Amino acid sequence: MGADLDGFAIVVEGLVKRYGRIVAVNGVSFRVGYGEVFGFLGPNGAGKTTTIHVLATLLRPDGGRVMVAGRDVVRDPVGVRRSIGVVFQDPSLDGELTGYENLYLHGRIYGLRGGLLEERIEEMLRFVELWEHRDRLVKYYSGGMRRRLEIARALLHRPRILFLDEPTLGLDPQTRAHIWDYIRKMHREMGVTVFLTTHYMEEAEALCDRIAIIDHGKIIAEGTPEELKRMAGNDIVYLKIRDVKPGVCGFFEDLALECRELPGGRIALKVGDAVKSLPGILLRARDKGLEVLEASYHRPSLNDVFLLLTGREIREEGPMDMIKAVVMSRRWRR
Amino acid sequence: MSEALDALIVMAYRQLKRFRRGRARIVSSIVNPIIWIVFFGLGWSNVFNFPMARMIFGGLDYLSFLTPGVVAMSVFTASFIGGITVIWDKQFGFLKEVLVAPAPRWATILGRIMGDSVIAVLQGLIILGLSFPVAHSLNPWGVPASILYMLILSLAFTGVGVSLALRITSMEAFQMIISFLMLPLVFLSGAFYPLKYMPDWMKIIAYVNPLTYTVDGIRYWLAGVSSFNPYLDLAVLSGLAAIALVVAAKLFSRTALD
Ligand SMILES: Nc1ncnc2c1ncn2[C@@H]1O[C@H](COP(=O)(O)OP(=O)(O)OP(=O)(O)O)[C@@H](O)[C@H]1O
Ligand SMILES: [Mg+2]
Repeated sequence: MGADLDGFAIVVEGLVKRYGRIVAVNGVSFRVGYGEVFGFLGPNGAGKTTTIHVLATLLRPDGGRVMVAGRDVVRDPVGVRRSIGVVFQDPSLDGELTGYENLYLHGRIYGLRGGLLEERIEEMLRFVELWEHRDRLVKYYSGGMRRRLEIARALLHRPRILFLDEPTLGLDPQTRAHIWDYIRKMHREMGVTVFLTTHYMEEAEALCDRIAIIDHGKIIAEGTPEELKRMAGNDIVYLKIRDVKPGVCGFFEDLALECRELPGGRIALKVGDAVKSLPGILLRARDKGLEVLEASYHRPSLNDVFLLLTGREIREEGPMDMIKAVVMSRRWRR
Repeated sequence: MSEALDALIVMAYRQLKRFRRGRARIVSSIVNPIIWIVFFGLGWSNVFNFPMARMIFGGLDYLSFLTPGVVAMSVFTASFIGGITVIWDKQFGFLKEVLVAPAPRWATILGRIMGDSVIAVLQGLIILGLSFPVAHSLNPWGVPASILYMLILSLAFTGVGVSLALRITSMEAFQMIISFLMLPLVFLSGAFYPLKYMPDWMKIIAYVNPLTYTVDGIRYWLAGVSSFNPYLDLAVLSGLAAIALVVAAKLFSRTALD
């Protein structure tokens, strides 16, 4: 391990993982620093879960090198396991035990015991607001409650790195927002490094410092949400101006890459960064005696980025998710 | 090491806790052996009610001969089938929680095997308790020794069941293997009739059948009758248990998700 690798929570170089002839992960490389929230964004079957399983030492890589918390996942899996917490995509709780018992079991397996364990369980159950439900069997929990319990469990032993595989898959929008809050709060208060996967772009945007877009087992783009979106083209600022006169674009020549007059008294200005350009544009309008009635901007979304790079869309909430959610809950209830 | 021990204990505790909640499993595991003792045992004990009959069963009345066999059978069945909980854990995802933990794999798997074994032995003891009133020649002082045999048998076959379950993905396949193996092993164990009246080819199978040595050992301690030296029985069982546990631990250590 070179000195340059110190200080990284996760280092992946040329990771390859095959299932028989299927190449699920095909030469993936990335690094995640301590304290970062890093996300894998990609459609179904992109290789997100496979990557998480390799990082969590549950699958052996077929090629490449993977270091987690400074340890090699192949040579020192136990060392890696000590430093991580994992929330799997599919449920992994014991439905026949209560919420409390699930955490107790986890704590004991991780070597916690006695008063310390009890304190931690209470702290974590309160953190995810399940303390009132601690004595109910998990098989009677709702999907959102189970997800929260899994997050509490993954944090119980205070891992340095937390893996979240599609933390809000199949949950309704309110529950999803709720879980985002937990993830942010946890990151803020415990300073844990987070590696998450998702195929919801709003989720990646809302939570991640940096995102890697993955498709067919390959990373096709990587950067901060802002950087990625800039790849898909420029921001556009729209102004609606009272009594607009032809040639109004001339006022903004030096502020925009391109300006176009639109019907209805509107103009469109192509800029590098709408948020940063907008104040200057408004000032200029005032200086030139223009009365701005409305101002808005359009910024390319991550979906536009994906579209640009692959010619496809990252599928949003669709029938497959519904089926998945149903299958998951069936598997539980039986 | 204390970390490993903690993991072992808590995994055993989990099995017990889950079992206590699963009423249906408790009832069905007890009803089946009782059916054997009542409908099979009482029936045949009237057939074997003539003066010379006791000579067939080493001087025992048929129920006293049969009961140790049924007790061993119930422990054996419960243990073997216990492997199915591993398949449940695979399907419900809980296995991943155990696999990703830093605790040594041998400790987590051994813990669950021990938990399941304790459950199986408890079931055997319930059957034994219920059969004392009908089986007149049983010696209560032999119970502690027979618990030892039951426990070792149970460790061995829970180990075998768990190892099978680790390699098999479908519940159906597991059940098929179990039902394919279980009845023949029970019939060829000397639980229902003495070994010495079996045809030679059956005897050969009986001699390699670990259940034979359990039935024999338990029968010795409870009823004073046996075909082998009871310490030989114990040695054979312990050997098998050791192998089964090592295999289960090895398999589990190597278990990955693909
Ligand atoms: N156990 C397996 N055996 C064979 N192929 C598999 C297995 N698991 C995954 N695959 C295949 O590997 C590829 C990557 O799957 P993976 O589960 O990593 O995708 P994902 O990005 O997590 O998708 P999703 O959004 O649906 O969870 C897919 O083509 C999938 O069919
Ligand atoms: Mg996945």
